[in-house]
Amino acid sequence: MALKGVKVVEFAGLAPGPFAGLVLADNGATVVRIDKPSSTFSPDILCRNKRSLAINPKTTSGLEVLKKLIISSDVLIDPFRPGVMERLGLGPDVFLGKDGSPGLNERLIYARIVGFSPTGPHKNMAGHDINYLALSGILSMLPGSDDRPAFPLNLLADFAGGGMICALGIILALFERNSCGLGQVVNADMVSGARYVSSFPLLHHMNASTGTFAGKRGTNLLDGGAPFYNIYVCSDGGCMSVGCLEPQFFKTFIERFVNALPTEFKREFGWIPDSSTQSDRDKWPKLKEFMELGFRTRTRDEWGAVFMGTDACAVPILTPEEANDLESSGKPFPLPHPKISSQGMGREPSESSTIQLPPGKHTEDILRELGLTEIEYQRLVQEGAIYSYGSKL
Amino acid sequence: MALSGKKVLEFAGLAPAPFAGMLLADNGASVIRVDRPFATTLDVLCRGKRSIAINSKIPSGRELLKRLVASSDILIDPFRPGVLERLGLGPEVFLGSSGLNQQLIYARIVGFPRTGPHKNMAGHDLNYLALSGVLSMLPGSVNKPAFPLNLLADFAGGGMHCVTKILLALLMREQTSRGQVVDVDMVSGTRYISSSPLIHRLHPSTGRFPGKRGTNLLDGGAPFYNIYTCKDGGLMTVACIEPRFFKNFLERFCEALPKDFTSSEKWQGVVNDSVQESRELWPTLQLFLETGFSMLTRDEWGKVFFGTDACSVPVLTPEEASELSSSLGSAPQIAFNDRSASCFLNPGEHTREVLVTEFGVPENEYERLLEEGAIGESK
Repeated sequence: MALKGVKVVEFAGLAPGPFAGLVLADNGATVVRIDKPSSTFSPDILCRNKRSLAINPKTTSGLEVLKKLIISSDVLIDPFRPGVMERLGLGPDVFLGKDGSPGLNERLIYARIVGFSPTGPHKNMAGHDINYLALSGILSMLPGSDDRPAFPLNLLADFAGGGMICALGIILALFERNSCGLGQVVNADMVSGARYVSSFPLLHHMNASTGTFAGKRGTNLLDGGAPFYNIYVCSDGGCMSVGCLEPQFFKTFIERFVNALPTEFKREFGWIPDSSTQSDRDKWPKLKEFMELGFRTRTRDEWGAVFMGTDACAVPILTPEEANDLESSGKPFPLPHPKISSQGMGREPSESSTIQLPPGKHTEDILRELGLTEIEYQRLVQEGAIYSYGSKL
Repeated sequence: MALSGKKVLEFAGLAPAPFAGMLLADNGASVIRVDRPFATTLDVLCRGKRSIAINSKIPSGRELLKRLVASSDILIDPFRPGVLERLGLGPEVFLGSSGLNQQLIYARIVGFPRTGPHKNMAGHDLNYLALSGVLSMLPGSVNKPAFPLNLLADFAGGGMHCVTKILLALLMREQTSRGQVVDVDMVSGTRYISSSPLIHRLHPSTGRFPGKRGTNLLDGGAPFYNIYTCKDGGLMTVACIEPRFFKNFLERFCEALPKDFTSSEKWQGVVNDSVQESRELWPTLQLFLETGFSMLTRDEWGKVFFGTDACSVPVLTPEEASELSSSLGSAPQIAFNDRSASCFLNPGEHTREVLVTEFGVPENEYERLLEEGAIGESK
């Protein structure tokens, strides 16, 4: 696999750090998550194929061992607010060097992921996905209700604009290291990341002449302004997605839709749309009403069957359980994606290690691999740098 | 830059492929977008790219394409399964045992999984989102979720994912000297990026997404993770999940409001930190926050929480966000105000430059291709 042999130290944190670590682990890297010895439980479920070392960097021996581990690693993931790692004596300068003085591991890729920009006015403030989304400008453009947008869980800033961007930066840095032999700092902040992922709508919005996002929220082609790009509720409460943007797809959709509607309904409504309706914006409110009421005449699955196998761009909205079944991998979670052909099935994530990684589970193994002697190990225990995992049971 | 010297051929397509090309271009790769002659394009993700217009219906056009692909590092194929094969440009032509370019990274982006029941159907972001399972979990109205434009499937699960894997394939190539096929489908890509909520949902014991849509911690179910409307219609986000942040938030929120409002009997139970643990009080807390927020403007609220750990910041318009972003100089930048970073790339704008100057196609051959309609130039 692409990252076989790459050693990653991921300091335990919320969503973005673990996701970046997951992407690397899913591609063959060896990932060690650093937990606090005092944690008995970690809510992190993005932990497959990772190991956990629970160690206290605020003890002398703990700090020494961590340094040793980082010196022998390729990637470090720092999820903390600016300055935290520096205060622990584990800042980038220590490893990458500064102003001519050498670092302890100049090949290290030091990846830092924060929420607010580390050079901006919010840099010392606590925050979460929805806050970063708010400052990115994209939240204000998202469909929702009349008075406010809806937010897509914590997917856009934490994951797309956070963990994924961080992983991308790390891989680019690994790539550069192959030619120049040196590591570097990768700075990811989630406001910038969310903006970058949202380049398309933001660029369109800022260049109103394109027409794609020129109007108020909710009146554009892709934000619910067009009846043929939206979600419709069916008779059983299930929903259908409709996305027939192109004229030839709209034609297919509208013909099949109208065809499948009860005659009664069509007679009562008194108006039937056709392929020309798409380009007639004045008719859109009426088309929307027709579609809203029309979809309610049948169940989601009935509608699903009407459009299956066609170019109508209309498919049912599946629950996570149904979506999982569709994937037919037999595993109750999304598989690593995309696949590169040399990977075959790649590393098969095992069922039991999938969603829980107890803090400190691999402390002994990892320290042994690092080459610690029994005496050094005991010193760590004495100083409270680590707890003996066995003793926690 | 990381990808300097890498040659990318991006067949013009919708959202995901241009975004992938843009990411590669942003990191130094030379990206050529292959357009059809006389095509119009609304693609705004074209900075740093050049365009060549080639008519693949004409044999000499196809031959030309073959030569271009054979001399590239990365190919981005945005078409439905089979399209490039039918043009004689499928993966085996280049990567097969007597392939023309065994170092090629052949990246294919489709919407529905290539081996699934929907594989030959047309679709768009919203459809891929629908099959991913995550759309059904998104906040929205009572009877349906809202969708975040075409960001999750087209860009996060599509273009960006594709680039990650292209880079990994490039890394492998350095060891093996071989290229490979990279297959991305946007249903799977969206699922992967949504691993966290999907895994939580499929394991209700974690307690993070056990309930119906709209009743969970991160989907609007918690009053302290949501968006509130202010007096002037502007919006504030609140995300104080951790108890110490919630305490911080509540104190400042109450301090900013008139005493006769916060001390009203109605809010007795909710104006203290422990309300975060009392789910049955959340509806009242929600009402308290809604009413309170509506008493000041967005910017007044912005000031109240700025510089604190209340996890509450204003929802900025794209213009305001752009100002904030450009004042920081932090990459990556979207150069809104930079007219030279042109928003549009005309199909065929660089046909001559690429073929004659770079590729060394003789002038008379170039003229012939033009005459045959195998290639095109922009005005």
